[in-house]
Amino acid sequence: MARFSRRSFLRGTGLGAAAALTTSVAMPAIVRSASAAGGTVRLGCLFSSSGTMANIEGRLNHVVKMAASEINAKGGVNGRTIEVMVSDPASDWPLYAQIGKQMLDQDKVAALFGCWTSVSRKTVLPAVEQANGLLFYPLHFEGDENSKNVVYVNSPPASSVLPAVDYLMSEDGVSAKRFFMLGSDYVWPRTINKQLKGYWKSKGIAESAWKEEYVPLGFSNFQTLVNQIRAFADAGGGKPIVVLTVVGSSIPDFLREFANQGIKATDVPVLGLDMVEADLEGLNTEPLVGHLNCWAYLQNAKAPANTAFLKQWADYVKANNVPFKADVAIDPMVSAYDAVHLWAMAAAKANSFDVPEVTKAFAGLSFDCPSGYKLSMTADNNYVSRGVFIGSVNEKQGFDILWQSKDTPKPVPFSPYS
Amino acid sequence: MIRSLALVLWVLVVAWCSTAHAMERADLIGKVCGDAAAMGEAGRAMIDIAAEGSPDDRAWAALIPRSVMDRKLSCDATGAVIASADGSVDALTRAARSAADGSRSPLLSLKNRAMFETADAALALRSSPDPARRAAALRTLERQASNLPEQLFEAAGRDESNPGLKAQISAVAQGAALNSPDMDKRIAAIGRVASSPDRRALALVGPLTNDPAYGANTDFRRAVDAASAAIRRGITIGDMLATLYNGLSFASILFMAAIGLAVIFGLMGVINLAQGEFIMLGGYITWLVQEALRLIAPGLLQWYLIIAIPAVFLVTAAIGIVLEAILLRHLYRRPLMSLLATWAVSLFLINLVRVTFGTQNLQFVTPFYVTGGVPVIGDFIFTWNRMFAIAFAVVTLGLTWGLMRLTPLGLNIRAVTQNRTMAGCIGIAVRRVDMLAFGLGSGLAGLAGLALAPIYSVNPQMGQNFVIDSFMVVVLGGVGTIAGTIVAALGIGQINVLIEPLWGAVAAKVIVLLMIIGFLQWRPEGLFAIKGRRK
Repeated sequence: MARFSRRSFLRGTGLGAAAALTTSVAMPAIVRSASAAGGTVRLGCLFSSSGTMANIEGRLNHVVKMAASEINAKGGVNGRTIEVMVSDPASDWPLYAQIGKQMLDQDKVAALFGCWTSVSRKTVLPAVEQANGLLFYPLHFEGDENSKNVVYVNSPPASSVLPAVDYLMSEDGVSAKRFFMLGSDYVWPRTINKQLKGYWKSKGIAESAWKEEYVPLGFSNFQTLVNQIRAFADAGGGKPIVVLTVVGSSIPDFLREFANQGIKATDVPVLGLDMVEADLEGLNTEPLVGHLNCWAYLQNAKAPANTAFLKQWADYVKANNVPFKADVAIDPMVSAYDAVHLWAMAAAKANSFDVPEVTKAFAGLSFDCPSGYKLSMTADNNYVSRGVFIGSVNEKQGFDILWQSKDTPKPVPFSPYS
Repeated sequence: MIRSLALVLWVLVVAWCSTAHAMERADLIGKVCGDAAAMGEAGRAMIDIAAEGSPDDRAWAALIPRSVMDRKLSCDATGAVIASADGSVDALTRAARSAADGSRSPLLSLKNRAMFETADAALALRSSPDPARRAAALRTLERQASNLPEQLFEAAGRDESNPGLKAQISAVAQGAALNSPDMDKRIAAIGRVASSPDRRALALVGPLTNDPAYGANTDFRRAVDAASAAIRRGITIGDMLATLYNGLSFASILFMAAIGLAVIFGLMGVINLAQGEFIMLGGYITWLVQEALRLIAPGLLQWYLIIAIPAVFLVTAAIGIVLEAILLRHLYRRPLMSLLATWAVSLFLINLVRVTFGTQNLQFVTPFYVTGGVPVIGDFIFTWNRMFAIAFAVVTLGLTWGLMRLTPLGLNIRAVTQNRTMAGCIGIAVRRVDMLAFGLGSGLAGLAGLALAPIYSVNPQMGQNFVIDSFMVVVLGGVGTIAGTIVAALGIGQINVLIEPLWGAVAAKVIVLLMIIGFLQWRPEGLFAIKGRRK
């Protein structure tokens, strides 16, 4: 925490007062716009359909639309039908903030659903806070953030990454003793790795047991790095694992090189924290069988809600000619789907589309997620309790469920290890 | 009387044995269908069967680990069923039957997967009729020889009929005896371990200096010292080769991406920002050829990378020529506009491909000649997909050089590059040369896309990564020279690879760019400037 001084106190209270002022001014504006729209309420999407993130983010636009049409079919929310506005921030982080601001100020959206990378969330955050809007963020992320204007639909590290690392370190896993952290060079991998290092220190693991490397976003030539991983793995001193936090197109390029240099999951398992089914499209996964990921949903989850969700998505893809695979569902899709439902439930409970009212209504909400767990929210913060899955790559470009949590652990926003 | 008694006894023993076997087998199947701990026990039991079981048991068990790994084994209330191409059989009795409703196929945890991989290899070594399969199994087992029961290699060596393989087995067994109480065996094991000098061997031999025998026994000490020196030497050589190979491989990628641009930029001074998209189109056309082969001639599917070469070159060259004819020819005297126009073309092509094919990575068949790699020395692995790109770059270089130096078209291109006006004055059809050269440059970019398909993911965005790199190479090399492009690609590739392990990939990019800026301050014309008058 920063030191508390008189100056920061003054600045803090000043900001608080300003925020309070803007809220009181902004409130009627939203009410007005909603009535002016005549029977519809708008939701905004901030997911890129072009650039590095296009392949994985693009499909979330369609999921939000699908969830909205599902709710509309049941009569909408508070007597209004939902209208979804889609944008393309083109994987360009500042553009997320610009479009987000425009949607909040001009289009008067009741809530935003968006962002994949943490860097895009961080750029949107000031715009959302300033307009006192509401952003639903569907990705698991590094935590250490708690804005009243953001709903963190997915898990912070304490309920996603740490259970997975614990599993790998346990006797049931592979008794991992040494760790090679490889990430893209931005806030999410750096923060995750910082927390992991803190966690391992707290377990009494020596600093020589890990190595940290970063590559630029969009990096694809992993030859030298895989050589380094092999040298690290062969140095002895216990079972090595790779904690992979590279994102986007770097994931398949890394996996391809990894398999080509003859490393199997049983030699050095890779825990891909951002690895989803969509990243395996186009790869020959036979030599990759056994590598791991961890999410709050995997497509193979056994639950009636999942069967229903998968069918709904397949039908939606077919009916609307969506340019994504009908038989692939990834965690952020489900999280975006949950997010729309959570928003609709909160708005119905509050009987208002007003952000402060909706936020208040989050406490005590619960929803049957396709993952099979019952999501819940509390009055403490805008985090959502989710289940934890550890998946294992299979030869059919998907993930088998290797382990899943008994219940939904309570999310811990701020990591004690960073 | 005695004989009949013996017979009865024998029958009894056989009956007892077979029931015992049946019991053990049923128990094993039960464990395979059990929880993670039970599955681990099953894995260990199968390794024991491979080491000490009867031929009958080994043949029976051989099928199990692989079918569990591939999830072909499913458990139901009465036992387990193994599915195969010929139909499904009961795992215990091997009688044909199909799985009951509600069956599940057990999933191996990583730890158990390693165990089952070992069990599979051990059983294959002992019972596979195919010597190649046994040799492959031995290679898998070699890496963990010291954790396996000694009897496994003893029995395998005894039963092995192939003399070459027999020698290999005994060598592996020798290497496994690193901690044997017999000093001669230990020294032999050290020599054996040192014969594959990599970091894994060093991790085995290195700690032996702390062994009590190291101080007590001079022979042992000498063996350990000689072995670690040999291993270290091997590792150093391997690392040097690996660095060279990595640099060469990165250079081949840079070269492939830049050679088309060198022709276009050198000849016409057009800053073609759509160059990367031609690379991407090359990848997509390769994919289309693959899909066409899948439909027309599935037998040739493995060779699509070779068969696609002419198609890729001709189609991308044609697209380039069309682009030149309808757009760029009007912009030759306006470099800024050509920059904007080619950027627009690049965006157009990306979005066109995105709308037509979608944003996902394309699914390529991985032919055997670009799969995996072979270990050479130390930790140096020679990966085939990189080798394919290097060979491809060398062939492209040869052909481009031949075209530029030995054909009338090449002569014309060089003449126009050196002095456009003068070339026009002596009767060269400058317009036609421009068009053909642009086609050549685009076709070469398309070939780069083909060569990159086994290494990188092919998606609409892939080209954008290459534009900056290829401009870097062309500008550093000196505009319009093939030799400059080669030297610049080799230099940038090698420097990148040298810096990466020291300061990381991010710093490598920064340092290389700084070096290029510094170099261009000193030699603005690049490494190999064409002598002559430039506008």
